[in-house]
Amino acid sequence: MLRVLVLLGLVACSLVVEGRQHCCSAQDRHIVEEQWKSIWTESESSVFRSGIGRHILLALAKAYPEVNELFKDVDIAHPEGGKFTAHALRIFDAIDTAINALDHPEVLDAALDHLADQHKVRAGVKKAHFQKIGEILHETLVHVLDNYNSLSWKSCFKGILGKIASKLQA
Amino acid sequence: MKTLVLLLVAAFAAIAVADHHECDILSRLKVKSQWVRAYSSGHQREDFAKAIWRAIFAQEPEARSLFKRVKGDDPNSPEFGAHILRVLAGLDIVISILDQKEPLAAELDHLQEQHKERHIPDSYFDAFKTALLHVLPAQLGRCWDREAWSECFDVIAHGIKGH
Repeated sequence: MLRVLVLLGLVACSLVVEGRQHCCSAQDRHIVEEQWKSIWTESESSVFRSGIGRHILLALAKAYPEVNELFKDVDIAHPEGGKFTAHALRIFDAIDTAINALDHPEVLDAALDHLADQHKVRAGVKKAHFQKIGEILHETLVHVLDNYNSLSWKSCFKGILGKIASKLQA
Repeated sequence: MKTLVLLLVAAFAAIAVADHHECDILSRLKVKSQWVRAYSSGHQREDFAKAIWRAIFAQEPEARSLFKRVKGDDPNSPEFGAHILRVLAGLDIVISILDQKEPLAAELDHLQEQHKERHIPDSYFDAFKTALLHVLPAQLGRCWDREAWSECFDVIAHGIKGH
């Protein structure tokens, strides 16, 4: 009896460890993909998408005013203008691409590695900024998704944002 | 008699003009909604991207050399997979704002900047167009408008090439 109990205990422990190793599990990925799909509307998605991208960047600039300088070239001073709107869409599509590659980890890794390179060369971009983007993203999604599963999203985006920020100095 | 000839000439001219749309606003809206369906998601999106690239390289095998940095010599590598998803994401952005003048101009400028130093021959853009126009109907079935896509793709390619 004791033996069985010990064995059961061991199995339970290894399951816990296993669970920790598999942050953003297959089930998490599936939930994230499905919930994300639900916000894509047919053709008027661009207004919605640039709206989300704009909100994330402006909230980041509010929390870290030095960020305004980093987005000077994309004209953050005029958030409704063409330049910033296009950039907001780039941010949204980067998130979209990452989510749609969740089921193909090697492709996702290569995509995030490329994003890490693109941010490495931008002096002034900090890991703290990405941590903040993670928080903003969750606050945003709570509002736009009807049945937002914060545990799944957090476990997947921790890895995604962490990899994009992985080549930054500070 | 002269009047008849004149009328006929006028009628032909009118047909010629009508035939040459230029990606008008209705075409843009149509392309937008058809793209959302074609772009799809997840694995289907990857397959869509791969099909376009297979068709490009089949036409222009030399084009592979432009993609060395992202391992274009091995189209099944994750690096190349990530690259073609980036390209489709760029196309996705442009198409989603086809009906919005300012953001469209800004995004095409941005893409032009990214392509400038790569010296891509015009024939490669043509190959991309041919590939896209072949894969789209496979993805969309009967309900797609070749003319609208052809005209609007030209607008996009023109914006990226800068000429």
